[in-house]
Amino acid sequence: MDTLNQILVTGLTLGAMYAMSTVGLSLVWGALGMLNLAHGVILAIGGYTAYWVIAQMGFPLVVGLFGAMAMGALLGVVMYFGIVRQMLKSKDFETNIIIATIGIAIALENLLLRGFGGSAIPQPIQFSGGFWIGMVYVPWQNAIILITAVVFMGLLAWFLQKSRHGRAIRATAQNRDAARLMGVDTGNVYIQVLALAGALAAISGIMLSSMTTLTPGMGADPMIKAFIICVVAGLGNVGAAAIAAFALGMIEAGAQFQFGSHLGFPTLLVIVIAVLIWRPYGLFGREEVERL
Amino acid sequence: MTGGPLLEVEELASGYGSQLVLHDISLSVREGELAVVLGPNGHGKTTLLRTISGLLRPQRGQIRLAGQRVDGQRVHRIVAAGVVHVPQGDLLFPDMTVLENLQMGAHLPAARKEYQQRLQMVHDLLPRLAERANQQARTLSGGERRMVGIGRGLMTGGRILMLDEPSLGLAPVIIEQIYEVIGRLRDEGITIVLVEENAERIAELADEVHLLDHGHIAWHGPAVDLMSRPELRATYLGG
Repeated sequence: MDTLNQILVTGLTLGAMYAMSTVGLSLVWGALGMLNLAHGVILAIGGYTAYWVIAQMGFPLVVGLFGAMAMGALLGVVMYFGIVRQMLKSKDFETNIIIATIGIAIALENLLLRGFGGSAIPQPIQFSGGFWIGMVYVPWQNAIILITAVVFMGLLAWFLQKSRHGRAIRATAQNRDAARLMGVDTGNVYIQVLALAGALAAISGIMLSSMTTLTPGMGADPMIKAFIICVVAGLGNVGAAAIAAFALGMIEAGAQFQFGSHLGFPTLLVIVIAVLIWRPYGLFGREEVERL
Repeated sequence: MTGGPLLEVEELASGYGSQLVLHDISLSVREGELAVVLGPNGHGKTTLLRTISGLLRPQRGQIRLAGQRVDGQRVHRIVAAGVVHVPQGDLLFPDMTVLENLQMGAHLPAARKEYQQRLQMVHDLLPRLAERANQQARTLSGGERRMVGIGRGLMTGGRILMLDEPSLGLAPVIIEQIYEVIGRLRDEGITIVLVEENAERIAELADEVHLLDHGHIAWHGPAVDLMSRPELRATYLGG
């Protein structure tokens, strides 16, 4: 029973972090047909921005959080005006943008390396202590990560489902030409989506580095996992991605306890491969997914 | 009742990349008129509508709506100026409900202000859409999808309604229903540009007909004239 609860705490924390790093990637894929391989480095920059604002500039934690979100959003907007807007016109956008974002990722990671060095730095957004639920000790750190993720997922779901702008984003993802014929300024939608994804990535960067440390390459591993989760859920399906993130977090936590921590990720991969053989378009994906 | 020119297309050339589909199109549609663009598949009917609504940028020529130039503008501005385009194949939002699709039609601020009245009007005209309000668009039948497409366009309001082959792929009995709806819209004085392949169905409905042949307007005139000249139909529409 204890082990099970421990797995639950770890799995939910992992799931929360994966969900935060996945929804942005999924949103951008869905709305723009863009696989953003700079997503991982934006996540790292979010973590470093919080560190810089809090530990080096001396601002309170909340300022660090919002500063990181603003930086993530800004990077999204800069990417739109810098490359996405021009490349969207090309016929091979989907392939070209992958190469372009790899380039951006390498450049930005090297900037981090120059600015902050290669050695690991602790994330200042940390919460010590914890509480007991029955026989299970829950660190505040884990609880706050989970609560933050649930709050932001809820806000995002509300925004996409209920607000006019959110509906326009979904419309653009489902049929770009039709959205334009309804008077949606799709350029604006792309900016909003990239900014939103950047801000969410920054939060997930803070979460991840608070559980480990800050390093310039810290975004690579969560981005690969985020991509896997997107594929399992069905690319571009944001709600399914969040659910799949929690499911895979639980599975990874279970596998870590059962087989040892180094086998968590391989177990995940085996399951993913099995899922994709069974359902090539993902658990919630459909064959006729429209590529924009 | 028809008035002055609402839509004017002048010496329009358009196409995909270097491949021109429309070479030199001029036509004008008066306020309150139902104009039909007739022509066989692949002669540029859809390209014409896509160019007017801005999905395609014209390579030459002018498009004016109520005297104001709209060619070269971005789609959302052209829509805001009053051009409503119900595209071929409906292009619904498949993972939204019928009601959400209609709400998307009223996306622009001007349309949102009249959302309630318009929704009532659309539901009166197409009662099936009220019955299916909460159903996902992807689960609808072909005829229902067509109705959502038209209803969504009507939610936008606008000054001119362009329908791209509303009969395409539907059973004859459904086509009749759709055409009945188009007739009612015309009777309400809505300016309509209707694109079709088949001359028979539009005979009683159309005011003016434009025959499209290989990217040119080959003939235009009142619908009654076309009906009294079988040789014209034989030449351009294959009988």
